[in-house]
Amino acid sequence: MLETYRGTYFHPRTQFITIDKTGKVIESDNILFPLKKGDEISSINPFFEGLASYFDSKEDNDIKFTCVHLESKKKQQHTCDIEFKTFANGQPSLVIIHDFSDHYEYYQEVAQSRNESVINSQILELQNKYLKEKEDFKNTFIANFSHELRNPLTGVTAFCSVLQKTDMSLEQQDYVEVIKSSGDHLKNMIGDILEMSKIEVGKLTIDEELFDFHKLIEMLAFTYTVKAKQKNIEFEVDFDDKIPKYIEGDKTRIKQVFENLLENAFKFTTTGKVTFTIKENQRRARKVNLNISVKDTGIGIPSEKLDIIFNSFTQLDVTQKYSGTGLGLSIVKGLVELMDGKITVESEENVGSIFKMNINFKYPINQENTSLENKLDIEYKNSLSKEKYNILLAEDSELAQMAVLKILSQEGHFYLDIISNGEDVIESVIHNEYDLILMDIRMPGTHGDELTKMIRSLPVQNCKTIPILALTANLYDDDKKRYKKMGMNDIIEKPFDETTLLSKIYKHLK
Amino acid sequence: MKVSKKIILLGHFGVGKSSLIRQFVENSFTTDYKVTIGVHILKKEVQIAPNETISLIIWDLEGYDDIKKTRASYLLGTHGFIYVFDVTRPATFQNLEDDITYLTNQYANTPLKVVGNKADLVTKSYLKENKAIFGVTPDFFTSAKTGDNVADLFTTLAKELVK
Repeated sequence: MLETYRGTYFHPRTQFITIDKTGKVIESDNILFPLKKGDEISSINPFFEGLASYFDSKEDNDIKFTCVHLESKKKQQHTCDIEFKTFANGQPSLVIIHDFSDHYEYYQEVAQSRNESVINSQILELQNKYLKEKEDFKNTFIANFSHELRNPLTGVTAFCSVLQKTDMSLEQQDYVEVIKSSGDHLKNMIGDILEMSKIEVGKLTIDEELFDFHKLIEMLAFTYTVKAKQKNIEFEVDFDDKIPKYIEGDKTRIKQVFENLLENAFKFTTTGKVTFTIKENQRRARKVNLNISVKDTGIGIPSEKLDIIFNSFTQLDVTQKYSGTGLGLSIVKGLVELMDGKITVESEENVGSIFKMNINFKYPINQENTSLENKLDIEYKNSLSKEKYNILLAEDSELAQMAVLKILSQEGHFYLDIISNGEDVIESVIHNEYDLILMDIRMPGTHGDELTKMIRSLPVQNCKTIPILALTANLYDDDKKRYKKMGMNDIIEKPFDETTLLSKIYKHLK
Repeated sequence: MKVSKKIILLGHFGVGKSSLIRQFVENSFTTDYKVTIGVHILKKEVQIAPNETISLIIWDLEGYDDIKKTRASYLLGTHGFIYVFDVTRPATFQNLEDDITYLTNQYANTPLKVVGNKADLVTKSYLKENKAIFGVTPDFFTSAKTGDNVADLFTTLAKELVK
């Protein structure tokens, strides 16, 4: 019975072949590949041609090959393990072919899936790397480009301030005002682009300082009420007085978010009303949760565009009727998210839009005993102890040199030394006793932050304490930290105007 | 008697070894990737002089991350090597220098050609500027897809095998 079953169910998958010294078949059981006596063994597959040098071997050899793909004359594919044996006693060589096609077919599927997965992940990794490089290039380009724009812009804004103080006709004053306003507009746009690139590379951090939130809202209410009158539209501020007066947050960024949203609402509203609502939602521990919204009766946003409204460089109006970089709302979203807040928008075309935010702020429990140190610039100026101060300006831009010289000379409190090359700064600091140094960062020779570090380590009496203020357009948080670490006391951002420059100088002079 | 020479294609998986052979032997190309397991052997006669041809027995081996994992029996009696990498995938050429050193030490007298495949996916200037990142200067940049340099690669190696 066993033999009957074997005959029915056993399908041998192994072929035995003997060959002579020239590779010709002597005997074959033809289980897989039909061969006649005298056939070349290589007629099965060129694989056997690779063994030709062993056909006449007079030694014992047992060579095993796994997973060799062979094709029968009927074009049937076999994946086989092959054994090739030669014998020292002169017996004919033996070829044994084991057909493991089923087993290797399964292995093929596993290998296919594994390799595809590895290759896809490598490609994905490369694509990510490429995108990151592209993004880094873009951001570096933006940072460098805005830096290069800031120097000439410093010339424009600073000299407008200086020019406004000269004797001019009314017509000339109007022209200067136009130049100044255009310069400010350009400065804001460059600021927006740089700001967005900082947010995108995660280089913008949110500071926490105590400030008067009520005062900020009052200031915005005043500014935009005037603006609304000019535009002949209504402006309403719905402010919840229960909100703590003093809160902790990044005042500059919060103001920027509110201003961007209000500017946006004013820009697109020609009739009707803009409503600025600030309500307390809840308080828990030392945190107050605020619901803030800016609602307008402007042109609205088509529903299909709501998803892209916060994307960079998105301007829905293609008619160029409304100017701007298309960055305002993406900056708002980036800043709100950095403050762990949320922003949403609802809108109906030709009816209006409402931008809603929900943000948590810390606040001091004891509000009554909280006060802010708010020394005015004029107080700094009045507390000066010397009549004349020696100031060193290390700056290679001639335009910036002229601007600083002109602004300081009007004050009558300063002697100014100007050095254009980083390498000459140290010598000048050693031989002169300065009260303050204005230090450009990107200078030929040695950069300003490196020079500051060197100055701080000089064995000259006042070098450890002399105020050194950076004049720079490089304002990433990493840069700011580095300037501080190198020993700089403060930063004057380019492009600067007369007020900014003087207030910082007076603040640091004793 | 016609001369037969065994050559082996080595390199990581997915670099296009099978596609190079298919392009050379059958003048065809497909973008479908089918993993090679074990070894496929194909044969092609190559004319190396006006009255001289040789048979190339081309062994298309399964790709490995590590060349040392190649089954030793496959390499028996090899007359020449073609080491293939993918110019677009750094993982396939990051050990190129070590792999080539290993091959030249183990098989000092066996001709070897180093090939950067999938050259159609990058620009010529990319290849020129990035030669240094491959670690070894390739003998050929090929494209199994367009057929660029494929016949030249096999013919050049074939000529070296009969020297």
